[in-house]
Amino acid sequence: MWVPFLGLLIGLLIGTVLNIPIPGVLAKYLSIAVLAALDSAFGGIKSIFEEKFNATILLTGFFANTLMAALLAYLGDQLGVDLYLAAVIAFGVRLFQNLAIIRRELLDKMVEKRQLKRRKGDNSE
Amino acid sequence: MNKLENWKLPVFITFILLGVLITVQFRTQQTYLRDLSQQSTDDLLQLMSRNNEEKTKLEQELIVLNEKLRTVSSDVSTGENLTKELQQDILEQKTAIGLIPVKGPGITITIDANSPIMYLDIIDIINELWNAQAEAIAINEHRVTSWTKIHWSGENNMAITVNGKKITFPCVITAIGDPNKLEEGLRLMGGVLDDLAIYNIYPVIEKEENLEVPGAEIPNIRYMKPKVKS
Repeated sequence: MWVPFLGLLIGLLIGTVLNIPIPGVLAKYLSIAVLAALDSAFGGIKSIFEEKFNATILLTGFFANTLMAALLAYLGDQLGVDLYLAAVIAFGVRLFQNLAIIRRELLDKMVEKRQLKRRKGDNSE
Repeated sequence: MNKLENWKLPVFITFILLGVLITVQFRTQQTYLRDLSQQSTDDLLQLMSRNNEEKTKLEQELIVLNEKLRTVSSDVSTGENLTKELQQDILEQKTAIGLIPVKGPGITITIDANSPIMYLDIIDIINELWNAQAEAIAINEHRVTSWTKIHWSGENNMAITVNGKKITFPCVITAIGDPNKLEEGLRLMGGVLDDLAIYNIYPVIEKEENLEVPGAEIPNIRYMKPKVKS
């Protein structure tokens, strides 16, 4: 279970060290890209719990979602439609759903483990 | 989970990228928020009024400092003036006591070697010159000051010394002052020249417009101290 945390930590470190400058105008699109990335990453974790994990889908989804989110937000700005908000809502809702599922799965696992332990303890006695 | 053993690497990569994205976005957002165009109008107005206040304060400070600068520079110039005045004073004092070579109109009195002159005669001449308001006197190249001693020496007391140094003949006494007054002083009836004439001494007196008198050496100042009223 430590793999995502380690990856996140390393990524944060790399980002801090590299210190990539982004013009202020692009901050908006980058933010939506980050939201999409978060969604993809948690989606990936959720799929592990659901035992439907597919590396290709995760990676392509990650890149495609981030790029498409940013591009759509940009396009929306150019057209005068707040597609940005649409992306925020879509990704945001899914992010919370994913998080909820992950939480539930984790709780289930803990309960299972505890029950297993209790059974083992009963057996030894 | 056991079926999906290969999930670790993709998830790892995804989360690394996520971390990078998050930090970059965080940084960008921080700078973006600090940008003036992102501030609310009220905040900007407040900022502006604060800056204006500071500006006025600084301008006032500038005025005060300029004033100070002016005072200081005028102080410096008065200081310079004071120094100049003091130097002028010192020069005048030195001139007055005879430490500095001087020049000006006056007369020369030449006494040739054949004259049977004695040191007392020289003193008489000098006294008469002082009397006639001479301002600077020299015997040959010896400046006569308040600490000059004129005496005799040698076998027949014919050699005259000034400050212990022998006078060579012809002896020239140079005096700076009003030439007419000086000459009149010497030629008074029953004066110095009449006295000298008794001994067949006839000094040659010449008025000159541009005479030079050397300066004297600095006298000893070891025991005396100025008595200054505090």
